[in-house]
Amino acid sequence: MGAPRKMPWKMALALVALAMIPVVEPSLPQRLAISEPMTDVFVYAILGMALNVITGFTGLLNLGVAAFAAIGAYVFAISTCEIYPFQLGFWPALALTMAVGALAGFALGAPTLRVRGDYLAIVTLGFGEIVKDVLVNLDSITKGTQGINPLPPPTVFGAELGSRGQYWLLLAFVVVVFAGARSLERSRVGRAWLSIREDELASRAMGIRPDHAKMLAFATCASLAALAGALTASRLSSSGEPSNYDFQVSVLALCIVIVGGIGSVRGVLLGAIVMVGMNSIVLVKLTEMIGNTDSAGASRLAETHGMERVWVFITTWAQNVLLSPTNWKFLLFGLALVLMMMFRPQGILPPRAEHEAPPEDEGTGPAPAKGAAP
Amino acid sequence: MSTILEVRDVTMRFGGLVANERVNLAVQSGEIFAVIGPNGAGKTTLFNAITGIYEPTEGAVLFDGHDVRREWTPRVAATGFAVGVASAVLAVLALNVTALWQAAVVGKYVYGQPFPWGEAIATVPGTLHAAGFWATWGVAIAASLVGRLGFGAIWHSQRRTPDLIARSGVARTFQNIRLFPEMNLVENVLVGMDQHFRCGFWSCLLRPPWFWRERATMRRRAFELLKFVELDRYAGDLARALPYGYQRRLEIARALATGPKLILLDEPAAGMNPAESADLMRLIRRIRESGVTVVLIEHDMKVVMGISDRIAVLQYGKKIAEGTPEQIRNDPVCIAAYLGTEVIQ
Repeated sequence: MGAPRKMPWKMALALVALAMIPVVEPSLPQRLAISEPMTDVFVYAILGMALNVITGFTGLLNLGVAAFAAIGAYVFAISTCEIYPFQLGFWPALALTMAVGALAGFALGAPTLRVRGDYLAIVTLGFGEIVKDVLVNLDSITKGTQGINPLPPPTVFGAELGSRGQYWLLLAFVVVVFAGARSLERSRVGRAWLSIREDELASRAMGIRPDHAKMLAFATCASLAALAGALTASRLSSSGEPSNYDFQVSVLALCIVIVGGIGSVRGVLLGAIVMVGMNSIVLVKLTEMIGNTDSAGASRLAETHGMERVWVFITTWAQNVLLSPTNWKFLLFGLALVLMMMFRPQGILPPRAEHEAPPEDEGTGPAPAKGAAP
Repeated sequence: MSTILEVRDVTMRFGGLVANERVNLAVQSGEIFAVIGPNGAGKTTLFNAITGIYEPTEGAVLFDGHDVRREWTPRVAATGFAVGVASAVLAVLALNVTALWQAAVVGKYVYGQPFPWGEAIATVPGTLHAAGFWATWGVAIAASLVGRLGFGAIWHSQRRTPDLIARSGVARTFQNIRLFPEMNLVENVLVGMDQHFRCGFWSCLLRPPWFWRERATMRRRAFELLKFVELDRYAGDLARALPYGYQRRLEIARALATGPKLILLDEPAAGMNPAESADLMRLIRRIRESGVTVVLIEHDMKVVMGISDRIAVLQYGKKIAEGTPEQIRNDPVCIAAYLGTEVIQ
């Protein structure tokens, strides 16, 4: 005890597998290429972990997390884009983005400290809409629905990253945010958050200052969400248009947290893989496959058996806008949520029962890592 | 012995309902003081008034001779001022942002050329009043007033809060147990110890060596407290999985973790069997021996009479008697309050 726990081997394995995707991809057929949509998963994982701080740990329902991502994306775009004079480097711009995000979190958190539950959800929902409207209407700065582009690619030690490098950079950010969220969760800061979620009055009576804790949670959430927004902007080389950060994004982030397990950082990662993976990979690939089956020889097979009309019917049916798999996503999200609520309301990976084991044989200083002990 | 807690003429009124009427108590340091009374006599309300959950309608609660309240320090005043200035700056920026941007950025930046920072900044004073001089200053003054008044209002409503009282050395338990059910026993106690931690946000995030040292000491202390209430065997279990009697003891451990001089126990023996309440009496005596003054609300007369040094009796929100267990047992007013008076035909 005392020292940082070793990473469980399952997680290390998953990390290596994820890191290998862009390496093995070129030797695979085009339709199996998933590194591009996987970056979506990473960004949403960061957004989910951001939301988890406020909704999972502190128990405050926030429906406006996309607004913080939008703020992040626009701050990052304005400070790096060559159409504006600031043209900061990737890392300073990222630091600035997170700082501005934290300030935005304070700005939303301070007046809403006394607001709880459904009311807070409404306030944050409104905040999300306000930010979106401001971004649309402040078009002399934000370029309205055009978005701000092009943005320079991210750099590491002066070297520009290609698509593979960007993939690894995003993965690295997911790992860092994960480690940070876990560190906070298992410290007095996280315990204060959890105690507010569990029973605010009792936690006050124990000397926890809920105002401080909630403001800190808001700022952390906003800062991480802004990071997610900035990374999206950097990947797309554009801030994107304001409607890219609408209510649907907040809801998807919330779905990730709920499906993964409210309050569980590992669960959020899994939730992001399941939800966004389904959205950006499975459904998209399915649509592509159905769209491409014409040339896949299956039609010839159908012709030889005298079933052309059946085949034509199937393909046109599959390409119908209303019936193509990508358009089922909300149906599937809804179904996933309903099933989760019915069969596993605590999420796929609920927070560990034993957050911290009892300190039975604990020394004074940091104990040596498990591997170092004889 | 000195008076550690003084309740002076406290009246709690909820609309027309008077829950406490001019209650006076003086608890001496180091004693076990019990507050008893029939249901609805206002005992828990009194506890809530003492611990800052309610603000007494009238009267004062003095702890060690002080009325625990946030002081209006220069720092608070400066923060309020800063909030006002920040609101004003934000409001002015929001009002004139487009004009400022046009003049300073769009007007001065030529694509590919280095940006003339000096010239751009020089345009700011001229365009700051783009929406009109009076409009801008009016908005600035209004926003600064709103910001400062808002800050002042929040500060004023937060002058005497439970967390401040807890931090000044008064801990409590609740009548209907309020643990943190999804946290384990160690964590529950560690929440109580929060005010004794010195690591802040960044230390918790980056975990430098002193974080680990503090973590180890704190966890050891938490474990010792669990030993004190004889729950160390269950240290890693979730609080909600504990049997009822143990939950009460855990709540006491969590309250002790705040490092109090005075602990208020709200019906600690409720729902306990005789063996458990005997254990509890021993525990309360040990708490007193460790130097913590105990005030308790209790219905179990065996417990009250067995451990209290002094007892106050409340009825209909008023204190009707106070004295040693012997005096209370023989006080006709108390007997009447509990058993009713004989009606003589």
